[in-house]
Amino acid sequence: MPEFLQHLLNALILGGTYALLGIGLTLIFGIMRVVNFTHGELYTFGAYMVFFFVMVLGVNFFASILLAMALGVALGALIEFVLLRPLRGADIDTTMLVMIGAWIAMQNLEQFTWTGIAKSIDHPFPLDPLVIGEVSVSWVRVFVFAFAVLLIAVTYLLIHWTRLGKAMRATFQDRETAALMGVNVKGIHTLTFAFGSCLAAAAGALLGPVFVVAPTIGDLAALKAFAIVILGGLGSIPGATLGGFVLGLAEELGAGYVSSGYRDAMGFLLIILVLVFKPTGLFAAKERIG
Amino acid sequence: MLEITGLECRYGKVSAVRGLSMVVNQGELVTLIGANGAGKSTTLKAISGLLPPAAGRIVFDGQDISDASAQRILSLGIAHCPEGRRIFPYMSVQENLDMGCYLRRDADGIEADRRRVFERFPILEGRRRQTAGTLSGGEQQMLAIGRALMSRPKLVLFDEPSLGLAPNLVETTFEIIAEIRAEGVTVLMVEQNAYAALEICDRAYLLESGAVALQGTGAELKDIPHVREAYLGG
Repeated sequence: MPEFLQHLLNALILGGTYALLGIGLTLIFGIMRVVNFTHGELYTFGAYMVFFFVMVLGVNFFASILLAMALGVALGALIEFVLLRPLRGADIDTTMLVMIGAWIAMQNLEQFTWTGIAKSIDHPFPLDPLVIGEVSVSWVRVFVFAFAVLLIAVTYLLIHWTRLGKAMRATFQDRETAALMGVNVKGIHTLTFAFGSCLAAAAGALLGPVFVVAPTIGDLAALKAFAIVILGGLGSIPGATLGGFVLGLAEELGAGYVSSGYRDAMGFLLIILVLVFKPTGLFAAKERIG
Repeated sequence: MLEITGLECRYGKVSAVRGLSMVVNQGELVTLIGANGAGKSTTLKAISGLLPPAAGRIVFDGQDISDASAQRILSLGIAHCPEGRRIFPYMSVQENLDMGCYLRRDADGIEADRRRVFERFPILEGRRRQTAGTLSGGEQQMLAIGRALMSRPKLVLFDEPSLGLAPNLVETTFEIIAEIRAEGVTVLMVEQNAYAALEICDRAYLLESGAVALQGTGAELKDIPHVREAYLGG
C-alpha cells in the first residue's frame, strides 16, 4: 500500500508539468490549426535559459524561471510572426513541414550553443525530502507541482474571464465571425502561439532542475505533449489537463508494476488503446478551448 | 450614407460580384434580392471587410472603406449579422453579447444597450448563462440580432435573417428588423424570401450574375413581370 501511494504521489507531481505541456500545445492547435513541432524545443529552451541564468549568470532561481518564461513568450511570438503569419491560408502540410524544419534547426542551434553534454541546474531547496506518513517527495518536486498548478489555474482564469480569453475562444469557435466582432484575428494568433510557447518553456524551466538539460530533451517532451493532446481530445483544455495527469499515472504505475524500462512506452500504449476504442479522445466533450 | 461603385469581388479566380453599384441612404431599409450565387452575401462581406474587393469603391459616411479592416469598419458603425446566425455555440448568451461590443469601452453605454437587448428579447435574459448552442433556432436568431446591435451601429447588414426559421418566426424577424429601422438604424438586408423583403423595404436591388439588374421601390419591383415570374412565384 505505501508503495502504491508513493506511485500516486509521483504521478500527481509529474502530471502537473505534463498538463502544462499539453495545454500549450492544444491551445495552439485549437485556435490556429497548427501542428506545432517546435513545442518540444520551447521546452528545451526554457530549461537552458534557467541553466544560463542560474549557473552562468548567478541569477536568483525563482527569477530565472520567470525570465525563462518571458523569453519563451518572445521566442514564440517571433516564430509565429516570422514563420506562421506568412503561411496563413497555406495548407496544413506546408505548415507542418516548415515547423519540422524549425524544430530541427532549433535543436541543432541548441547543440551548437550548449554542446551535447548534459548540464544540471542547482536549486535552493533542501535535499532532505518532505515525508508524509509512509510516502516522501523532494521539496523541489513539491515546488514544481505547486507552480505548475498555479500556471494551469492562471490559464483557466485567462481563458474564461478576460476579454482576451473571450476573443481567443470566439476565434476558436468561428474565426470569420470573431473578425466581424472586431477581433484582430492575426493578433490573437500571435498571442496564442506566444502563450502556448510560454507554457512549454515553463515546463522545461521547472523540470530542468529536476532532471538534466540536454539538446534532445525536447523530443520526448513533445511526443508526450502530443500524446496528452490526443488523449484529451484536440483543442480541449480540460482534456489536456486530465490527459497530463492520466499520462503521469500510466507512466508511474507502468514503471512501478510492469517494468521501469517501459516507462516512456506506457503513454504511447495508452494512446493506442484510446485511439482504438475512443478515437475522438477521452474527454472529447463538445466544449473546446475552455 | 453607403455608396458602392463598380464593386468587383473574387474568390480565387471565380468572380462573384462584377461591377456592382448601389446606394443606401441614411434611415433607409434597403434589400438585395436575387438567386443563389447572384453575389448578395459576397457584397455584404465586401462591405464589412471580410473579403477585400478586387476593384471598385465603397464609401461610408464620406470615408473610403474599400481596403479597411473588419475592425475599422465595425468601429465606424457598420455591424454585420451573418448568414446562418453564426453565434458562438460554446459561449453563453451573455458572452455572445459581450463579443458584440468587443471594441467598446464605455461600460455604462454597454450596460444600457444590454438592457435594451433584453427588453427586446426577454427570453434571452432568462437564458443569459445558458450555452448559446443549446438555444432554439429562433432564439439563436434573436441572439445574433442582439449581438449585432451591441456595437451600437449606424448601419446593420442582415444576411438571410429568415433562413431556416419556422414561418411564424420569419414574420417576427421581419417585424424586429422594421422596428430596428424605425429606431433610426439604417438597414441593408439580403433575403431569399423576396416577397417579404419587398414588402418591408423602402428600396430594393435585384442582383443577377453579380451586378444590379433592376432597382426601385419594393412596390415597383413587385409589379415588374420578370421579377414576379422569376422571384415571386408568378
